[in-house]
Amino acid sequence: MSNPSDIRKEAERRALDSSDQEIIAKAIDEGIETAWDRFALQQPQCGFGQLGVCCNNCAMGPCRIDPYGGKPSHGVCGANVDTIVSRNLLDDLSVGAAAHSDHGREVVEVLLETAEGKAEGYQITDEEKLKRVAEEYGITVAGRKPDEIAKELALGMLAEFGSVKNYIQVAERAPDKTKAIWKEFGITPRGIDREIVEALHRIHMGVDADFVNILLHAMRTALADGWGGSMIATECSDILFGTPKPLTSWANLGTLSTDKVNVVLHGHNPLLSEMIVQAAEDPELRKYATEKGAKGINLVGMCCTGNELLMRSGIPIAGNILDQELAIATGAVEAMVVDYQCIFPSIPATAGCYHTKVVTTSTKAKIPGTQYLEFSVETALSTAKEIIKLAIDNYPNRNPDRVRIPGKPMKVMAGFSEEEIRKALGGTYKPLIDAIVAGQIKGVVGIVGCNHPRIKQDYGHVTLAKELIKRDILVVETGCAAIACGKAGLLLPEAADLAGPGLKAVCNLLGIPPVLHMGSCVDNSRILVMASMVAKELGVGIGDLPLGGAAPEWYSQKALPIGTYFVASGVYTVLGIPPKIFGSKNVINLLTEGLKGITNSAFAVEPDPVKSADLLEAEINRKRSDLGI
Amino acid sequence: MKTVFVRQDRCVGCRHCEIACAVEHSENKELFQTFSEEKPSHPRIHVESVDNYLSFPNRCRHCDPAPCMQVCPTRALSRDEATGSVLVSYARCIQCSVCAMACPFGIITFQKVRELESDREVNAKCDNCIGRLSEGRIPACVEACKTGALEFGDVNDLIRETRADLTMRLIRSQGQDVEPSSMPENIRAFKAVMETIANL
Repeated sequence: MSNPSDIRKEAERRALDSSDQEIIAKAIDEGIETAWDRFALQQPQCGFGQLGVCCNNCAMGPCRIDPYGGKPSHGVCGANVDTIVSRNLLDDLSVGAAAHSDHGREVVEVLLETAEGKAEGYQITDEEKLKRVAEEYGITVAGRKPDEIAKELALGMLAEFGSVKNYIQVAERAPDKTKAIWKEFGITPRGIDREIVEALHRIHMGVDADFVNILLHAMRTALADGWGGSMIATECSDILFGTPKPLTSWANLGTLSTDKVNVVLHGHNPLLSEMIVQAAEDPELRKYATEKGAKGINLVGMCCTGNELLMRSGIPIAGNILDQELAIATGAVEAMVVDYQCIFPSIPATAGCYHTKVVTTSTKAKIPGTQYLEFSVETALSTAKEIIKLAIDNYPNRNPDRVRIPGKPMKVMAGFSEEEIRKALGGTYKPLIDAIVAGQIKGVVGIVGCNHPRIKQDYGHVTLAKELIKRDILVVETGCAAIACGKAGLLLPEAADLAGPGLKAVCNLLGIPPVLHMGSCVDNSRILVMASMVAKELGVGIGDLPLGGAAPEWYSQKALPIGTYFVASGVYTVLGIPPKIFGSKNVINLLTEGLKGITNSAFAVEPDPVKSADLLEAEINRKRSDLGI
Repeated sequence: MKTVFVRQDRCVGCRHCEIACAVEHSENKELFQTFSEEKPSHPRIHVESVDNYLSFPNRCRHCDPAPCMQVCPTRALSRDEATGSVLVSYARCIQCSVCAMACPFGIITFQKVRELESDREVNAKCDNCIGRLSEGRIPACVEACKTGALEFGDVNDLIRETRADLTMRLIRSQGQDVEPSSMPENIRAFKAVMETIANL
């Protein structure tokens, strides 16, 4: 593609945001391969896989079922299409739950090592939250030092991952009615790792063949993530680095600097990146940067590591998952530091076209062609400084002729932790409930999830958010969805002008945006806690509340437990990309209809964001009328 | 007349036919060795996609009369009368690609073939798996297809199936605007979702 108007058209087809379009065009022009190119090369993608009817679990396979109802109708072992589809779904979901929860475990481990004085650069920042969570665990807090409390809490939380306790303490936060449903259907999570390991056991040939039983366990595994691993990740990150408070910052690729050393912090875990934020303040390193000809050090975030840093430290966010190659293609990135999850393995190849150095840091996530500087808690701050120095040393290698940084970054307001939303409302959810009862706000929808090259980047998130706020539905967001709306200017109090009159009035009164950034993808747990508190205030279950969930552009296995713990908690959830279940009528029926009889919620698949808003609004109205409001 | 009949609406884009074709035309006829042979065999059937979800397995129709045969200046293309297959004599092929210009289906590709000592890229199109046909077996692509998108049989029998299906649906619809589909409802739902995405 060499015709500029063709390139521009292709860039507009790929992304909604104009700064993204500008760099997509640059990448095409310079022959830089991106996920969109690889997606095109993958067409046609295998329909057996897309429908979920391919079983590649054991060595008698791979087996596949004729989706048109002919032969073969069973795998070699005799598994039918319902077994295969549900087992594959449980498999993907467990991978996602493991990713969130193992991230959570690492944060607890650092909390423990901080308490034991072994961690370099870490401290307990939110003592109040430490005490509050410790009390939930029955830990005595009065008259004790924070380190002692933190050690006991960390050990208590690590026990949640095993299989001795048979319940997860933080899941006790759910309203009684919701917990009663879990108990009745046998899906109360018993332990985080336990549910994941049991899921893998059930997936083995000749174990669970009953799709209903398999899907119930999928719900339990998802709950162990949302009300377990993810929630623990959020709580411990808050204790270590501070609970987010509303702040303003900037978003999009325009956050990269023309004359400072640019370091992109990409991935999911705040552990090392928070140290890099500290290291970048080091006077010696700042001086070193100027010696190398730069005007300073510019840290920007990407994906959920970016969200963690934006929420707590106001570090600008360069973009979401489909921006990772584009950031490098600006030609202005000295170092991209990655931890894990959603890191394209192609990143070093992209970086190889410019001067960018990619630094891998996790022993769990090494990528050939990158520089590996292992994160360890004892030396975290030193490693962070080493990384910053490496980036500064690379600054003179930047080729100004190949640099293009798009126009202006977009201002964003972020930092809406559950605690801060409650504080903004005056300490309780009563004002929010009153506004919902009065119909000023019809309900609340959580828009979460990723980008997917099948859908114009950010189009699903932004269009759905705009549709919902127009209908007086408050939107709360995490992950790539929040970054999308940040780029689009929806995370600003001024965006209330796009909201319906009721929501607009509430936003103007409180000075908040109609779309609230609640954090990273593990921080969906904040949404669960908020829903739980509102339900408790009303004496109902989460399934009774006028809430909704949506993942308009999801791609990751992690989106499966998120969607599923939303639904299992009672929140109706619309997916914009079809999950790999369409090969089985029974699985579709159970997930889109059958669950309504259990959790008063279900899944729907609707890629069109306007129609998706219709579905969510109808569900919110149904629940409002059931509540008599 | 026996032919490979394509039911496009049943193709799921798995490209299993492509793999089976490459293996069948390799020296070892064995998946794990095919791709490390000196002149690796490439598929002669091509699954193309539209809108990232619709796909079509495009294969030589072995036309009669065959435009490619008619235009070939060296008579490299000939017909096997017993099976109706249009075959290529690689040694005679001069790489002029006029056959590809004449082919209404665009199925001809030029490849290095192990049957020639030289590295010339010649018309290596579908040979209808003539070796398999002589053993009473069906073409490799058809055997590999598990959705019925590719079927081998007497052309009139296969058309009759389509006709019977249409007749049944017309009668069942009893004049309604939407005729009942022969496609399972979940597959129809999946295709509807993919169509929505393609049109966003």
